[in-house]
Parts: sequence; structure tokens; C-alpha cells
Amino acid sequence: MAVNTIQPPGPAWTDPDIDMGHKLMAFERRARLIHALQVLVVWIVIVILLLFTLALLDFDPAYVLKHYSFVLQGMWVTIGVSLASIFFASILALMGALGRLSHNPVAQGISGFYVSLIRGTPLLIQIYIIYLGLPQIGGRLTALGYPQLGGLFILNELQAGILALSLNYGAYMTEIFRAGIQSISFGQSEAAAAIGMSSWQTMKRVILPQAVRVIIPDIGNQFIAMQKDSALVSIMGVWETTFRANRLARQESKFIEMLLLAALLYWLLTIVSSWLEGRLERRLAHAYER
Amino acid sequence: MNDNTIIQIEDLHKWFGMLHVLRGISFSVVPREVVVIIGRSGSGKSTLLRCLNFLEEPSAGKIIVAGHGVLTGPGIKPDRQRILDLRLSTGMVFQEFNLFPHMTVLENVIEGLISVKKMAKDQAVPMGEKYLEKVGLREKRDVHPIRLSGGQKQRVAIARTLAMEPKVLLFDEPTSALDPELIGEVLDVMKALAYEGATMLVVTHEMGFARDVSDRIIYIDRGEIIEDGLPEQIFNQPKDERTRTFLEPLRKVQHL
Repeated sequence: MAVNTIQPPGPAWTDPDIDMGHKLMAFERRARLIHALQVLVVWIVIVILLLFTLALLDFDPAYVLKHYSFVLQGMWVTIGVSLASIFFASILALMGALGRLSHNPVAQGISGFYVSLIRGTPLLIQIYIIYLGLPQIGGRLTALGYPQLGGLFILNELQAGILALSLNYGAYMTEIFRAGIQSISFGQSEAAAAIGMSSWQTMKRVILPQAVRVIIPDIGNQFIAMQKDSALVSIMGVWETTFRANRLARQESKFIEMLLLAALLYWLLTIVSSWLEGRLERRLAHAYER
Repeated sequence: MNDNTIIQIEDLHKWFGMLHVLRGISFSVVPREVVVIIGRSGSGKSTLLRCLNFLEEPSAGKIIVAGHGVLTGPGIKPDRQRILDLRLSTGMVFQEFNLFPHMTVLENVIEGLISVKKMAKDQAVPMGEKYLEKVGLREKRDVHPIRLSGGQKQRVAIARTLAMEPKVLLFDEPTSALDPELIGEVLDVMKALAYEGATMLVVTHEMGFARDVSDRIIYIDRGEIIEDGLPEQIFNQPKDERTRTFLEPLRKVQHL
């Protein structure tokens, strides 16, 4: 069978006006650079003003220097709790999104109830219920003669913290996953159906692989938000950044010093995370172009 | 209606809400026949094609393709397995190609073989290559669809459809999304398939293709078959006034 394809113009051709293009590009680059420098100057001025204010406030840098490594160790707990929670939250969110999009009334009911309940209540209340309420249920079950079942409800502070954050973020991320899945054009499902694929095969082989690419940057953003919300689990006594900073702050009433240190550490963490997330996003953007 | 029919449609209706899009369509197609469906946009011709493999669920009527029959109507819930069987005996080519962008060209073509027909990969690959060869794109097997022109994409989509070896090929305006200079390569592939004896049902605005390649033309208006006849008869002596007024302006543009 003879089939002809039109070829694009070859690479041999060069534009005689190429210099003009180079000059325009250089001009644009210069303008962008100047703008970026101006923004940087504004940032520096703000930081100087803040430092000046701190000096007026009788800030004690020596106390920060002495104890910063104790607080810094809490960053590992913060990162660990956030990573574990975003992992479980993603699993919950995937199941939630599939439930909300399914035609099964049971799956739809469960996932809709979950999302509505979690999004309609404060994270702090959820943390209290899981940390203080669950052991109460566990104790009752043990008293009724089911000690093994009751034991499941008694969590240590780390488990309770990860459970609370996972449940909470899972509900918000359900909507992200759902939007990601729905963003894949309907034609994709139709093409899969037309070659006889079942709806589950279509989801697994055609829709999800494409949706993940849309969703991953959003998971990154949720991870960055989670790093900061994880400070709330300090009320359970998880030895993470906020808990440690708070503890030292109370010791000698150095609140500004230790809380600013914690704030700075969270800030640096999100800057690094955003940078990593940006790289990941750029890589994903070119995923199909190799 | 003889026993030889491969597609048989009886009294097919489709409602979108209170909009009656298909109003009692009945016709049949015999093997190796190439039937072109023409009509204005909004006449229901695409909906008819999409009802045939249940991409749209018909509101009422009976569809039989290659022995797989599905009956629908108010209160009747069609059987999922029968729908899947019916889809396996039809192949569809879409206006917008709908290739899977995260897979290479070859992976697109063999996806159905692997996930639906449960074929081993080393068996599926030679088949995929055979059908890519057929549409003249074997050398593109390892690139992603984003690297292809519109015409090439549609040819890959045709190869993907052929790889499933369906009994009937459905084409839903296969050249309408293409730049004019790319239409020819897709029509060439379709012509070759027609001459090889494929059974084809084609919705198109390419009247040249309809006149030269089809065995039969069906003209649809407002969800009803107005005329069903040989190409010469439809183009030269249309029986119905509506067919004439539809074809007249096209005649000037497409040099019929």
C-alpha cells in the first residue's frame, strides 16, 4: 500500500536574519534580569527591616545558636510524619476518587460521606478525636471483653498523628484526584471502550497513567502544606519541630527566639520542597516528548 | 433481510433528554459492503454510529453485529457482557484520533491485544508491526503520538482498530479534524481497506470518497433515513427534495 507522508522542511536551511533574532533575545533576557534584581533588592530591604526590629526587641541570638540543633532534629520527624501521611493520604484519595466516580451506590456513598465529614470539620478537632477519643473507645471495648479489638484503638502519638493527617489530607486530595481523572479527555475512555476494554482496564491502563501526571504537581503542593500542618500534631506530644521549639521557649521564656527559629526552619523546608517540586513538574511536562 | 447480513438495526431510537435524535432507524449491511452515511451536522449520523457499538446507549431498538445482538428499550438494562462482545466485533475510528498519548505508537496498536485479548507481548508485537506496516508507519513504532502529524495519528488509530480484527469498521468523520493536505493519506488507507473487502460504515463529508468507494449511501436528516441507495442514484437522481438541497452546495465545492 502506497502511503505518502509530507516531510517538514529539513534542518539544512538557516534564516538570513538570524542575527536580529539573537539581538531580540538578548534584549529580552537583559530586561528580565534587571527585573529579577529589583525584586531581590526589595526582599533584602524587608529582611534588613525585620532584623532591625528584632534588635530593638532585645532578641537573644546566643540562645538560638545554643539550642538550634535540638530543634533541627525535629525537622526529621516533621519530614518523616509528612512523608508517611502524604503516602497514606494519596492511597485514601485514590480510593475516594474512584469511589466518587464509580456508579456503585455503596462506593459513592462511603466516599461522599468521608469527604463531606472530613472537609466539614476542623483538623484540630479531628486530631483531638483521634488522640483522645479513640483510646476511650479502645478502653470500652477492652472492658466489654474484646481486648485485642480494643488494642487497635490505642495508638501512640506518632501513629495517631499520621492517622489524623492522612485522613484529613486524604479527603481534600480525593477532590484533587477526582479532578485529575476527570481532566483526561472523554475521548480516551471512548477509544478504550471501542477496542473492548472494560471500565476497570480503561482506568488502570489509560486514564490513571495520564491522570497521575496531572495530579503529581498537586500532590507536591499538598505535601508542602502538610509540612506546616504537621505542626498541629505537636499537641499530641510528637517530638517534631514545633514541639521542641515550644519546649525550649517555655524553659527560659525565649518565645520570639525559638518560635522564629521554628518558623525559619519550616520556611527553608518549603523553599527546598518547592524547588524539588518545580523540577519534578518540569520533567513531567516533557514526559511524552521523547 | 437475508441471513447474510453482518449488521442489522431495527427501529433504533435515541433520546437525549427530551430531544429525539434518532427516530426509528432500520437498515442492514452485508459483509464486504462499504456504506457511507451522509447528512447535515446535527442530523444524528454520528449518534447512529456511536449507538452501534454502545458508546452511546440507544434508548430503544435492536442491534445485531456479527451474531451479537443487544436489545434496548425503556426499562431494559442491556447485558454488559453482550455489549463487550458487540464492541469486539466492531472497530471504531474517531474524528479526534484519541490515541493514548502516554504510549508509543506500537503500544497503542497492541494495547487491545494485550489487555483485552490477553495475548502475550511477543505475539502481539509482530501483529502490531504488521498493521503499522499496512498503514505505512512501521518506522514510527517507537515514537509517542505527539511527534506525529494529524494524518499519521489517524493512520495509527486505524492500525489500532485493525489489530483487534473486528468484523465491521466504523469511521466517525475520520478526516474532519485534519488539515486539507493530510486528508489524502487517510483516505488512501481507507480505500485500500475497502478494496481488500472490509465491511465499513463511514460517516463523512468527503463526497468524492462516497462516490468513488462506497457501495451504498444512506442520507439521514433529523434522525430518519431519507434515502438509501447506490451512489450514482443518490448523486445523479436523488428521489427526495431534501437530499437534493443537501448535495447541491457540496457539488460546487467538492467537484462532484
